[in-house]
Amino acid sequence: MAKVQLQSGPETHLPLTATVLSILLALAGGEKHGYAIMKEALLAGGGGISMGPGTLYGSLDRMLGIGLVEETGVTDNERRRYYRITSFGNKVLAAEVLRLNRALSTAHRRGLIEGTHA
Amino acid sequence: MSEPSSFLLMVYKRALLLYPPRLRRKYQQQMLQTLLDAHREERPGSRRFWLKIYTDLLQSAFYERIFMLREQVLKQPIFFHALCLGLILTFLGGTTAVAFQRMLRRGANQPQIEMAKFYASEIGSGEEPDDIIPPGYVDPERSLEPFVIFYDDQGRPEKATGYLDQSAPVPPLGVFEYSRSHGSDAFTWQPRPQVRIATVVQRVTGPHPGFLLAGRSLRNVEEDETILYRMTFLGWLVLALLLVSGAVLLGRTERMKQVSC
Repeated sequence: MAKVQLQSGPETHLPLTATVLSILLALAGGEKHGYAIMKEALLAGGGGISMGPGTLYGSLDRMLGIGLVEETGVTDNERRRYYRITSFGNKVLAAEVLRLNRALSTAHRRGLIEGTHA
Repeated sequence: MSEPSSFLLMVYKRALLLYPPRLRRKYQQQMLQTLLDAHREERPGSRRFWLKIYTDLLQSAFYERIFMLREQVLKQPIFFHALCLGLILTFLGGTTAVAFQRMLRRGANQPQIEMAKFYASEIGSGEEPDDIIPPGYVDPERSLEPFVIFYDDQGRPEKATGYLDQSAPVPPLGVFEYSRSHGSDAFTWQPRPQVRIATVVQRVTGPHPGFLLAGRSLRNVEEDETILYRMTFLGWLVLALLLVSGAVLLGRTERMKQVSC
């Protein structure tokens, strides 16, 4: 099992890559197995990220390593394992969303998004 | 529900070898299951699906290999120290090779510097070029002997002991302009392919103004340079192999110790 290396604070992991953000968003809605994560990440609300198994499990491995996600230990098939977000993962996700929200507010203020004004 | 092509699935399974062993051992079954899950919702025989899957496999395998290398180098002191030592040795070896090459090249300007100064001084003090420059015929394409050529103030050869195809070669006009303003110039001149000459030009003033060129073929020096570069590369290669194999052996020993503890 990968050694978990918790870092000092959620901010040290920011900014998240688009793939990690979409995986965390998917798992924030409840525990899921690999394909369910991939499907949710592909949705517009999940980040619209298209990824294959290689990208997914490479990212999950690193996320397990820093304690953003964990295996539930529950399987409905030996080869289909479930993952869930950890409380540290939730903090990192919240910090990333806050960061993106600030950037979005700036974009709104500067009229960069249709229907908004400077 | 569709079953994936057994051939494409078999190739995918084999291609998982591209991933680092630790990742492959841990996630191989899950990756295959995720692939099967995804395939069930795709149109049967969808080329786009397989294109996406294989592209992802190649990209992610490449990135995982890079990650693995970075982890090994940065997190294992032995690899990090070996890398630092390798960089220091490469820098020192490269600097030494360049220093030797410069020494060889500077040495190739002898005795032309003395020859150019002597003849320029004699002609400048009133001697006729025909009297002071002894007769001779040196073809730098075949001979390693030094030669001299005296050019008038317009850069036309007047007296020469160096010839290419029976005529005294003339360097680019910029050489004369530079020597006129700076007094002398030393450079590598390639009047034709395969003929490279260590050249010194000295400005001649006085009653017979012009330029005195002294040159010598660089063939021997360039052969020495080639030997120097080959030896440097060979030395570097041997050291790199020793460093890598030493680091791998020490790394394995350390891991085995950790496991046995």
